[in-house]
Amino acid sequence: MSSETTGRVLQACKNCGGGAPMDVHFCPQCSQILTIGRHGDYFAFLGIPRRLNLDVTDLERRFRALSRQFHPDYFFNASPAERRASLERSSYLNDAYRTLRNPVARVEYLLGLEGFPPRQPESGDGTPKVPAEMLEEVFALNEELDEVRALRAGGAAPEVWRARLERARAPIDARRAAHEAELEDLSARWDGLGDDAGADGRGREAILGALRERVLERNYINNLLEGVERELNA
Amino acid sequence: MGKVVGIDLGTTNSLVAYVADGVPVVIRDRTGDALVPSVVSVADDSTVFVGREAERRLLTDPARTIYSVKRFMGKGMRDVGDEARLFPFSLVGDPGGIVRIGLGTRDFTAPEISAFILRELKHRAEAHFAAQGEIDSEVDRAVITVPAYFNDAQRTATRDAGRIAGLDVLRIINEPTAASLAYGLDKRHAGLIAVYDFGGGTFDISILRVEDGVFQVLATNGDTHLGGDDIDLLLMKQILAETKNAGASGAEIQAIRQAVIQAKLDLSDRDETEVIVGTHRKRIARAEFESVIRPIVERTLEPCRQALVDAGLQPSQIDEVVLVGGSTRIPLVRRLVGELFGRTPHTELNPDEVVALGAAIQADILMTGNRELLLLDVTPLSLGIETMGGVMSKIILRNSTIPATGSEMFTTFVDNQTAVDIHVLQGERELVADNRSLARFKLRGIPAMPAGMPRVQVQFQIDANGILSVTARELRTDVEQTIEVKPSYGLTDDEVERMLLDSFEHAEADFAARLLIEARNEAETVIRATAKSLRSREFAEIAESELKPGELERIEGALANVTAVLNGPDRELIKARTHDLNEATQHLAEVMMNRSVQAALTGKSIDRL
Repeated sequence: MSSETTGRVLQACKNCGGGAPMDVHFCPQCSQILTIGRHGDYFAFLGIPRRLNLDVTDLERRFRALSRQFHPDYFFNASPAERRASLERSSYLNDAYRTLRNPVARVEYLLGLEGFPPRQPESGDGTPKVPAEMLEEVFALNEELDEVRALRAGGAAPEVWRARLERARAPIDARRAAHEAELEDLSARWDGLGDDAGADGRGREAILGALRERVLERNYINNLLEGVERELNA
Repeated sequence: MGKVVGIDLGTTNSLVAYVADGVPVVIRDRTGDALVPSVVSVADDSTVFVGREAERRLLTDPARTIYSVKRFMGKGMRDVGDEARLFPFSLVGDPGGIVRIGLGTRDFTAPEISAFILRELKHRAEAHFAAQGEIDSEVDRAVITVPAYFNDAQRTATRDAGRIAGLDVLRIINEPTAASLAYGLDKRHAGLIAVYDFGGGTFDISILRVEDGVFQVLATNGDTHLGGDDIDLLLMKQILAETKNAGASGAEIQAIRQAVIQAKLDLSDRDETEVIVGTHRKRIARAEFESVIRPIVERTLEPCRQALVDAGLQPSQIDEVVLVGGSTRIPLVRRLVGELFGRTPHTELNPDEVVALGAAIQADILMTGNRELLLLDVTPLSLGIETMGGVMSKIILRNSTIPATGSEMFTTFVDNQTAVDIHVLQGERELVADNRSLARFKLRGIPAMPAGMPRVQVQFQIDANGILSVTARELRTDVEQTIEVKPSYGLTDDEVERMLLDSFEHAEADFAARLLIEARNEAETVIRATAKSLRSREFAEIAESELKPGELERIEGALANVTAVLNGPDRELIKARTHDLNEATQHLAEVMMNRSVQAALTGKSIDRL
């Protein structure tokens, strides 16, 4: 269980000036709780490798164990500096746990960390740009939605236009399922690279780039489906 | 160092508890009563009454007697709807400002009224510690509970109330979570727990996972304006309609309120009861009562379902359901909750006391650093800021474990702009107007740069109390920005300070009120003892054979004299007449004592003499 960052001195103790690895929370020299530096990441903080398939039970156990180490409740009578460090460290832990527990947030976080932030490219008017390979489907869906709106405005029975909407979203649903499968495959390939930092750099980048594209498309699809969902429930 | 307590500051009743030798105990008065009614009455002469005494004054001085003040904590006048009509006291705040309650020449904010209740609890605890022979009996620190669904303004108002009462508020914790701590003490096992907390004015549902002694809240939901009060209001409106008493006085409304509350309590263990208000009598069967209140109880179920969805759980996955709050004594509530979760809810602990016990446990954890248990709570509402077009952009999502942080980058729109306005909101809705405005901030001291150049990182920190603080830093220059806070529905620090000073000035009046209450209690004890003697079986015989001529008349006269002044404001008069009654009954008491001693010596019961 060691990530590539473990073992390297990456944070400093403000109390005694000593150095400490990223995945420890108390100074090895003076044993005071460490203040949080600006660099560091959720994986190293929790002491787990940068993998996409995580053992959630293990994650929960680590979260509880670390909460017990530095929750502000236990630093109530400590010095102001230690109280501040405990608050910062607990907040960071909670943010880390929340992000890594959620598979969608986890992959987005990892991409950002690896230099492939999944930011949605925008078209000129501020709306998200349609991914190229989906242009046709999105165009078809929008046409269908227009017709559904016309049907509703014309006073058609809800069953009629609802059924139409359901049919319209079917290809998009299928597309999402295909994306999930691709994401799983890419995630497994990423995890397969393991801790071997010396692995083929181009291989890494290819996987990360593909992951980013799938994630962006999935977000786009989800937004699209949410729109349909709103339409259904209106 | 003074003592530390846990306080449940409730809508209807408040309690104080502490941990003695590792065991949490609720502090009771001499009669064994743990509940201090959350009622405050301020008499014409500024004497302040709190608790039972104030409750009595609901009927005699309703315009100056305040109850359910928790409903106004952190609220603006705009939030107070049509129910204000049914409150006998008047709300006098500015239309756009916070709620103020007018009492003669002075008006009070909700935190000030709550501070009176907190001070009463503080005194009760101090009297308890003094009676136990503690040398340092002062209570100066407390953990205070709030409904889980309280927003930032309501939490801050509660903390302000504590400060005004002279308490260092160690922590604000959520009521359902506190209850789970109290329950968890005797059941140290793992599992998923739902705490259903239906009190006098608020409703909360919290879903927790308990493992390795960590009480982790997974999701919470609720309604801070839904409780037993709403059931009372519904029944009151019904009675008012039936008696066609549109212009009822404050005292009449209070009489109706007390009658319907009594009926509600009766129907928890009886099938039928009668509401009697003046000449109006109305029989209510439980089935009818249930059909009237059902819509209110059903309003609690949707938050339960939402909390389960947020926790990613099915109702059947919940291992235990715990009921908290007085309103969970209603059989219909128990039935509907049981149906929702498919299991019989726990009711072993007193639903009125369990929250205070949990607060005491948390206070003990903070003071001793005891690491056996740990509470991990969540923020009930999403936090965000206003963005272009009146839309709220969320920064910290609801049900995030606290403490939690979020940050947002800001820049400038014109060259050399040095300040930016930020509007902070809480809520789940899309539009700013549909969410709760928490505060408006002004970021100042941004270094002069061309438009769009500054990169101001604003950091939002929700602490373990669920209360927000904001810091900001311009990243290019690494300059910390100053932030001016204008709370939307709260008090500024200066206002809280001033109220604290005011309360010292009123401390003398409070002390006088306490002496008055003590004089009354003393008088009531003597009255009860005398009445008991006069009613006893052997009294006729004693009166005939042992009392002197005119002695009975003197006793009865003295009794009437005390009773006449008992509820008056003159403490010395009550004491003097109590003294007279004591004197008048001294001989009678001796006679009765002798008889019982003789009876004991001869082995016979007094009744057979």
